[in-house]
Amino acid sequence: MPSAIEIKDFSYNYPDGTNALSEITLNIEHGEKVALIGPNGAGKSTLLLAIGGFLQGQGRVLIDGFEVKKQNLKKIRRIIGCCFEDPDDQLFMPTLFDDVAFGPLNMCLEQKEVEKRVIETLNFVGLAEMSHKPPHHLSAGQKRAASIATILAMNPKIMTFDEPDSSLDGRHRNNLIRLLQGLNQTLVIATCNTNFAAVIAQRVVLIDNGKKIADGKSQEILLDSDLMLEHGLEVISKNLI
Amino acid sequence: MHHAYLDKFAYQDSPVHRLDSRVKFISLVVFTIAVLSLPRTSVSILACYAIGPFAVLAVGGIPLRFALKQIMLVSPFIAVLALSCPLYDKTAASAYFGPCAFEISQGWLRCFAILGKFVVTMLALIALVSTTPFSDLLVGLQKLGTPKLLVIQLGLLYRYIFVLIDKVQHMLRARASRKLRNLGYRQELRIASSMVGSILVRSIDTAENINIAMQGRGFDGKWRSLNKLQMHSTDWLFAAIVCCFLLILEFFIKPILI
Amino acid sequence: MHMANELLSVPVAAGTLGIAAGALGIICKKAKEYITSDKLALMGILGAFIFAAQMVNFQLPGMPGTSGHLVGAVLLAIILGPHLAAIVMSSIVIVQCLIFQDGGLLALGCNIINMALVPSYLGYGIYKTITIGKISRRRLYFGGLLACIISIEAGATLVPIQAFISGVLVVPLKTFLLTMVGVHLLVGIIEGLITVAVLGYLQQVRPDIVSEKLSGKVRLSKKAVLITLGAFTIITAGGLSLVASGFPDGLEWSYAQRPDQPDFKPVISNEDPRITAVDEFQSKYTPMPDYSGRDSKMGKPAKPVGTAGWTSFAGVVGSILTMCLIWLLAKLLRKNKKIHTQ
Repeated sequence: MPSAIEIKDFSYNYPDGTNALSEITLNIEHGEKVALIGPNGAGKSTLLLAIGGFLQGQGRVLIDGFEVKKQNLKKIRRIIGCCFEDPDDQLFMPTLFDDVAFGPLNMCLEQKEVEKRVIETLNFVGLAEMSHKPPHHLSAGQKRAASIATILAMNPKIMTFDEPDSSLDGRHRNNLIRLLQGLNQTLVIATCNTNFAAVIAQRVVLIDNGKKIADGKSQEILLDSDLMLEHGLEVISKNLI
Repeated sequence: MHHAYLDKFAYQDSPVHRLDSRVKFISLVVFTIAVLSLPRTSVSILACYAIGPFAVLAVGGIPLRFALKQIMLVSPFIAVLALSCPLYDKTAASAYFGPCAFEISQGWLRCFAILGKFVVTMLALIALVSTTPFSDLLVGLQKLGTPKLLVIQLGLLYRYIFVLIDKVQHMLRARASRKLRNLGYRQELRIASSMVGSILVRSIDTAENINIAMQGRGFDGKWRSLNKLQMHSTDWLFAAIVCCFLLILEFFIKPILI
Repeated sequence: MHMANELLSVPVAAGTLGIAAGALGIICKKAKEYITSDKLALMGILGAFIFAAQMVNFQLPGMPGTSGHLVGAVLLAIILGPHLAAIVMSSIVIVQCLIFQDGGLLALGCNIINMALVPSYLGYGIYKTITIGKISRRRLYFGGLLACIISIEAGATLVPIQAFISGVLVVPLKTFLLTMVGVHLLVGIIEGLITVAVLGYLQQVRPDIVSEKLSGKVRLSKKAVLITLGAFTIITAGGLSLVASGFPDGLEWSYAQRPDQPDFKPVISNEDPRITAVDEFQSKYTPMPDYSGRDSKMGKPAKPVGTAGWTSFAGVVGSILTMCLIWLLAKLLRKNKKIHTQ
């Protein structure tokens, strides 16, 4: 069975020439929950875009065995769902219901099936009563849950998250953690908050300056205080893990 | 917040709010045509026509003060033009109201007619808009034949107006919190123009992110939407009431008052 | 510059609505052939940006009591092309009408023609004509400026014409036209300067956005860009403008009731007071044979009262009573509902 995500020697440069990612090699199996950590500007977001099939660089990226290229994009979009940093960018429809329905509708599902999925997903994330509200009536935490719902409704096998915990208060962060822990999909979560990574993931990949620095169990990497400090990350306390 | 003020009434619940947006929209169009076609010589009949939108506002729980305030805000242009009528039309006419009769120029009659019609049609428009969530209105418009691309654009525009207003307010707050003294006209201008440029570029970045989000959710160029509208008995009842109202005014009240 | 329903006659409103709807239908059909999600997103965002820009009006220098606001059609046409720009501008006009009640429902046809269709296509056409072939800094400036001035003037002249054909107003066409053209000349110049500044800025920061392939050699001086963008900011400070047109005028009595957040204001807020003063002077001293107003001022008895007066009275009072009744009923219904749901 192919890995969920297989990246071989992937490099990417921005249009203006600056190097964003340098020969990244990474394998993630189905069912794993991986945290992608690193300081700001390390290349985490770029890597997530590459995994999502939005970038063409050098090297290979395979999602569930399918190589990321134009012919496979339609298949890949059904397998992997990407949640970006700013929920406002993903909630572009007039109501929450429409936003969550957007993905399933594009999968050419029947209207009844679409409605069923939307209701189920909104119930799962706890936003059922807000379904007919416009996105700007939602709070930051609700928007975050909503953006996750828009991806969940497509039943992807793999989900990626770019800094999902940013600008969330304690209560909403706990909600988010509970939500993420309740998911069965393969998860790749980019964050610069090591405490959040410790709670969410069993495996951690450290990225800095576009290169993969470390890859291993959360306990090994997150508790290596020298490594964390060297790459601008917070040192966590031992009892979190 | 500013945007809460704009559509806060539209998401309330009332019998009017639950009506099909198509019925409300068509009623509005027919009503506006009826009011506009009234001759300019009778102003009192406008009070009768005003019952319609007033009833909708009352049942919808929309405060009249809010509606009147909105009307005041958008009236300058037409107020001025209406007031130009007495200046240019000095033909004499007589006006009667109750026990009073007075001489008045036709220009003034025109002026009152214009202003009266304006208030009534605006009341009707506000009655529609403040009792209909914008998303419902869009679906209704699409079902009535508005081109899909225009409906998509209206939805995106409506959605991102609020995002933009928020961003701008944050920026202004940030500037205000860092401003310790008046920096002089030139420097202020420079700061301000950087802000505008920054908003523009950030907006364009947002557009790109939206594009990526759309593609990530499988958008392939074909815009699909849910078929959400269905006429219920209450909608037909409302349509019937509107018809009766207009017909009564047309055939019974109008001949008396005009 | 937003037309109201009441300035139009029903045939004119219907006619313009038909033209606007037909044109939009054709444009949307054509545009769908090449629309992609990146264009869609850009249309939505730029629409919001222009909308915010249109929200703040500015005091016109040298014309007391008059204010103007941006249109933005030419900028959009240069970035998105005329068809998509027309769609975006139409959406802005529609949202202004529906959400802000700025411009009447039946006047939408006129407003779409005057502020979306004409400025987008005419402005684009003029810009292309001037900048065709070799693009230079001077041509960019000149093309943008001229396109804005002419397209705004065109839209402005249509308003008096549409009103005149409707026959609702009695202002002489000439007076109305002259005032609109005069005011909008200034508005057009300001819009032109701002459009060019924004284009220059985009050229430097995001050259990929502009649909016109302007060569990299075109660089407006940073100072020029900043100064004109600064003028733009005086206009677009997101609702808390540096210089908002709060100057009330004798005829602008409603400004006093404006809330903290500014709302839409139509472009022309009043005619030049000098014009109205002249007219008043004229009318006072011109003999008017049928003007009985003067007579009654001098104490002559008014005409005998007929039944017309009482029917009007009954009409108005009856309506008010009906409205009160409806209001009471509605309030009772709501109270009842609250009791039931509690």
